[in-house]
Amino acid sequence: MSREVTIVIDGREVSAHEGEMLHDAAKRGDVEIPVFCYEPKLGDPVGACRMCLVEIEGIPKLQTSCSTPVRDGMVVHTRTDQVKSAQNAVVEFLLVNHPLDCPVCDKGGECPLQDISMGWGPGKSRVIDEKRHFEKPLPLSPLVAIDRERCILCYRCVRFSQEVSEDAQLQLLERGDRTYVGTFDDRPYISPFHGNITDLCPVGALTNYTYRFRARPWDIEQAGSVCTLCPSQCNVSFTVRDEQVKRVLARDNPDVDDGWLCDRGRYGFSMFSASERIDGPRLKGGAATDWETAIARAADGLKAAGAASAALVGDASNEEGYLVQRVMREAVGSPNVDSLTSVFGPRRETFLRLADPGLSARVRDIDQADLILVLGTDPLHSSPIVDLRIRKAMRRNGARLAVATDRPTALDGGAVAATRYEPGGAADFLEELSKALEADADNQASAIAEAARGAERVVIVWGEQLVQPKASAVDQLVVISDHLKLGEQEGSGLLEVPVTANSRGLREAGCLPDAGPGLSEAEPGRTTWTLPAAIERGEVTSLVLFGVDPLRDFPKTEKWRAALAAVDHLVVFSTFENATTAMADVVFPLETHAEKDGTVTHPDGRLQRVRPSASRPGDIRPNWGVLAELSLALGHDTGVDSQPSAFAALCEAVPFYAGLTDAEIGGRGVRWQEREAASALPTPPANEAPVVAELMKVSGEPPEGPFQLGTYRDLWAGPITELNPALRFLAPQQRVEISVADAERLGVKTGDKATVAQNGTSLQARVAVRERMQDGVCFLIGGTAENNANSLADAWPVATRVDIAKVEGS
Amino acid sequence: MAELPVDAALTEGRVPDRSPEEIPELHEVDCPPELHEYIEAAMGRYPDRKSASLPALWAVQRRYGWCTPEGIRQAAAVMRVTPGYLESVASFYDLFHTEPVGTHKIAVCTNISCWMRGGDELLKAFCEATGCDPDEARHGTTSPDGDLHVTRFECLGACDLAPMASIDERYFGPLEAADAATAIEQLRSGEDVLPGKALEKRPLAGDTEGGADA
Amino acid sequence: MPETRVLLKHAEDPELRTLAGYRGYGGYETLERAYRTMEADEVLKELEDSGLRGRGGAGFSMGKKASFLPRGDMQKYLCCNADESEPGAFKDRELMMRNPHQLIEGIAIAALAADATLAFIFIRGEYDLVADILDTAVAEAYEAGYLGKDILGSRRDLELVVHRGAGAYICGEETALLDSLEGKRGNPRLKPPFPAVQGLYGGPTLINNVETLSNVPRIVARGAEWFRGFGTEQSPGTKVVSVSGCVRRPGNYEVELGVPIRELIYDLAGGPLEGREVKAFYPGGSSSPVLTPADLDLPYSFEAMAEARSMLGSGSIIVADDSISIPHMALRTAQFYHHESCGKCTPCREGTNWTVKMLERVVRGEGTPMDLDIIASVQENIIGHCLCVLGDAMAMPVGAMVRKFREEFEQAIAAAGEAPRPIAAVQGAPETMGASA
Repeated sequence: MSREVTIVIDGREVSAHEGEMLHDAAKRGDVEIPVFCYEPKLGDPVGACRMCLVEIEGIPKLQTSCSTPVRDGMVVHTRTDQVKSAQNAVVEFLLVNHPLDCPVCDKGGECPLQDISMGWGPGKSRVIDEKRHFEKPLPLSPLVAIDRERCILCYRCVRFSQEVSEDAQLQLLERGDRTYVGTFDDRPYISPFHGNITDLCPVGALTNYTYRFRARPWDIEQAGSVCTLCPSQCNVSFTVRDEQVKRVLARDNPDVDDGWLCDRGRYGFSMFSASERIDGPRLKGGAATDWETAIARAADGLKAAGAASAALVGDASNEEGYLVQRVMREAVGSPNVDSLTSVFGPRRETFLRLADPGLSARVRDIDQADLILVLGTDPLHSSPIVDLRIRKAMRRNGARLAVATDRPTALDGGAVAATRYEPGGAADFLEELSKALEADADNQASAIAEAARGAERVVIVWGEQLVQPKASAVDQLVVISDHLKLGEQEGSGLLEVPVTANSRGLREAGCLPDAGPGLSEAEPGRTTWTLPAAIERGEVTSLVLFGVDPLRDFPKTEKWRAALAAVDHLVVFSTFENATTAMADVVFPLETHAEKDGTVTHPDGRLQRVRPSASRPGDIRPNWGVLAELSLALGHDTGVDSQPSAFAALCEAVPFYAGLTDAEIGGRGVRWQEREAASALPTPPANEAPVVAELMKVSGEPPEGPFQLGTYRDLWAGPITELNPALRFLAPQQRVEISVADAERLGVKTGDKATVAQNGTSLQARVAVRERMQDGVCFLIGGTAENNANSLADAWPVATRVDIAKVEGS
Repeated sequence: MAELPVDAALTEGRVPDRSPEEIPELHEVDCPPELHEYIEAAMGRYPDRKSASLPALWAVQRRYGWCTPEGIRQAAAVMRVTPGYLESVASFYDLFHTEPVGTHKIAVCTNISCWMRGGDELLKAFCEATGCDPDEARHGTTSPDGDLHVTRFECLGACDLAPMASIDERYFGPLEAADAATAIEQLRSGEDVLPGKALEKRPLAGDTEGGADA
Repeated sequence: MPETRVLLKHAEDPELRTLAGYRGYGGYETLERAYRTMEADEVLKELEDSGLRGRGGAGFSMGKKASFLPRGDMQKYLCCNADESEPGAFKDRELMMRNPHQLIEGIAIAALAADATLAFIFIRGEYDLVADILDTAVAEAYEAGYLGKDILGSRRDLELVVHRGAGAYICGEETALLDSLEGKRGNPRLKPPFPAVQGLYGGPTLINNVETLSNVPRIVARGAEWFRGFGTEQSPGTKVVSVSGCVRRPGNYEVELGVPIRELIYDLAGGPLEGREVKAFYPGGSSSPVLTPADLDLPYSFEAMAEARSMLGSGSIIVADDSISIPHMALRTAQFYHHESCGKCTPCREGTNWTVKMLERVVRGEGTPMDLDIIASVQENIIGHCLCVLGDAMAMPVGAMVRKFREEFEQAIAAAGEAPRPIAAVQGAPETMGASA
């Protein structure tokens, strides 16, 4: 904590933190100093635009307030003639070559250059010479247009590209007044974060193609919500015109997203009005129907099946998850509720241990960590904002990074130790890491253990590769946490990257086969992976899928197809039509996160509010309402008739959410671990051997093949690119990644077509040769529209084996 | 209400014409071993590898005649930086060429001292001798046969030779218009250029008896 | 009036540039004594007491600058600024070509004083021949054991790397030099922090000009008192002065600081050309406000030039005679800074652009009566507002020319025939293209 100092600005005393920048201290003292290039989120100040020049007593030359740290007793003047003349000069200089585009420029009305010219400019132009010209506008990428004439060279965009997302694709070219922002060889700027430059740009030089000429600031409304397209749960602000979302902006929550958005969240809004959108309840065969009929039909099927029903929850808010499990457990009388959170294995006991507030790291803890350990996931694909956060910690605060994954990650380049284990080998790896930490053993985890040695604050970011048939994989995580004393050190802890956006919330709301709301004990039900077999045996005859698409996202696609066909009664809640909804008996529409009213729980325990910003198209009703109606139809009154009552019911059922109010969550959320009610978290049963889940049985011959197959979920695989025209160009074609040596042996190079085969099934993929791949291992993308790896994968993410062959003539 | 124009991004989606350029992997570029070694050696001389940007770009330019996109990619792969980074650095500096420039480079100084002694006329003379357009020569242009690059240049640090030119990185002056034609002929035929006017031959100004009158 | 050759002593001997030749004249004896018997503080004191002022343009006390480096075990660096790109300056070229070992010895001794173990010579890319000569000399010095590990058994190390620039005047600015040396675009940095504390790769760095460092061996050999025997009280020592422009004998001349300017221009450089008279001159390179014949008898020293509201700078005199059009000279000067501006900060980037456009119109005969006042006002708007001194380096001379030769500008504007057509083609601007959809 830095000490407080007093400075004098324009005759007034202002309190400031020693060492903070004068501009920030002035702001808190209600003194506005205009800036263009200053953006603390981008790192050290540059002092380039010269807009923030102020007079500091004792220093003859005017100083840039963005780069001057305050000192006790500093006397500052921001409104003297000298300062005003400098401000006028800078504005005049900026407007010498800036085109008079305001009438046709999207930024007009929300433009810092306009505002500052009005507030601090000379008001008249003395320029009669021709201005500088560039070809304009040009596509910087398929999503962002660049108008170089408007650019005032504040460098925010290039600093973002180089120091935040670190892709270094966006650069300055040429020198002096010929400088312009561009890319190598005029290539498109394609990176999952590049949309942020449109937020950063203080003029209309960088605009979104999706928002060009769509609205003026006085036509629109802004509404704050949370994006639920991935576990990052970034805070967003929807720009709404005529009740439709036209644009998504970041809402800057330093505890969650640090003011950034990935392109998924930023451009993935046109799907809200895609033709594939289910806009009302319907029955099998496509016939639209009214709500009463639909609910009655759904209820009948569930009633008939009784305890032979099961429900899977994927994309859902806390209230929705809570109500689904309540419908199943109390209305239908079935204990079979699961969410994608427990792919294999981790059971109530494990989740209770992981939920220990002492073990839990906040997103903010990444900033100050000495060591960040990324285990079993590539944040760039699974939770993009975490990737940016890790890079920030390394770049600004000297944090060290160690990575242990099966597939090379985007973060490897900056890591002090990057270790690969084979696909499916995470559990073994964690055991070795345990040994290496405990007894300094020399094994495949030694490099990681070495990196961890002596680090005080350790944050472990862990993800999907750790969730294994062997429950011990995640339990090992708890053991490792003990070794590293994560629970005792402030600022240390575990940060999960779960598979779906609200996995944590669903868990805590009770969507687990062996736990009810608040991770309370419950009669054990079936896990997701045992369902196909159970359906085959006739033990499960009715299935509810809430925000889940097994035919796209689950391994063993054919097994699931057979199961969905075999089941007597299939009820699907979905936002979009897909292969799964095509097989449903009753289809219910889901709200998107722009229409929903509810709460979600961030992987670090922060409850956040999803607020309705756009209107629901067609005949869509609030999800909590549909579930309450369904429950009534099944004879159980939940007492829920509004969002507040749904929320209240949730908080009553989850003891450590007790007493939460909307006001407390507010716009920034609140971590339940930081409230008194946190003590109501049940204690994990002591000294019990972890329960090993029943595995998904492998039938037939175990596959053979020279390559071990791993699959991963590419950031862009799925409806996000298929249903958003703007993002369509990012939809990945299936590619098989292999090492340089293997490529040579197979006689293939990047771009060649190949078949990947396993026990008679095969798919086509383009070869992608990568340097840091292990020999004998290959990776495919799970979840693509065609050539989906899930059709092959035996039991993802467990290892399976394949053969690769070049397709001749490709 | 009138229909607002809708960009293709919203309806069918825009399509990029090429792929983006990230850090190339060594197996993706065909870096000549000598170039690779040179850049590795250069990186070893500095505490931070990135300092080798300028030496690396010099090596690329020496090898290919100019900083070709492929050459930049090769250097980028060895240095583990993006080609965009190296192109950004190259485009900042006057001596790095990001377009083809031919075999011989002629830089004529037109800064103050040389301008006072006829630098503008000297530039015109070189343009005439090479067939270059004098207007184009202001930012640098290549002769019609593609062999000779002529550009005006800022102060080269040889005002005692005013008006002067740097030909293939060697200084010559003081030059008269006729010298331009001679130098071009010599370049084309492979002879030594203007041996009497080379900087190396010039004595200290104070040592010339009666002065070397310009 | 003869020169006072100290740095240029024996420079007419082509052997001087070889190690053997240099040692023949007593070279490297001071390095040997310093490394074998002297402490860093001793050397530092000698340099401070000598009053040696930076010879690259700023004129700051070299010894004081060196003393700003913090003590401690951290890696420290020394950078020799051999980027000499100031129009009118060509003295460092002469020193490096003829006496490279003097510079190397100076670097080694200064590095000892500053406790720097890694040194760089940042030489402008255009000086290809000179860099080759330096490369050879550095190799010789390594072989002789004057560079490398455990120099002469002193347990001190010094690695010296010759780093070639690639053509950018701004890289002569010390923080831009650092960025360029780090492999980036040559953009200046904010000061503070100063390079002495946070410089190359973030570590303490001493940056000095070639001529400054070339003075070090003799100062340490003969002592501060000896050095103060030359020049004036505030400007001790000798100076290698580059004289060029409309003079009969352009070249480098070494004189004591404080000699009358008239002697440099008329005696040493032979005076103006046949039938011509001196009209104006830049005393300190193109960045200095021009002086007139009335100032010819001023002493050539830092303090006298500052008092005359100009500057000594790098010590480069450019002489304009009565055949030179001052508006045109102003344009040529502005064009230089416009070309060399790095573009990072607004006032310099746009101010040089705008000034060139207006001066082009004036010279082309399309000036308006308001232009002069606007040009003068723009220079005032640039001065003191930029990130580095390049903006000032244009604004001061152009402003001075407009002030002191206002009549000539007004005549050029009055001679303008038609009304101005506001089409100013700025050198180097990309071609105008129509807006695409």
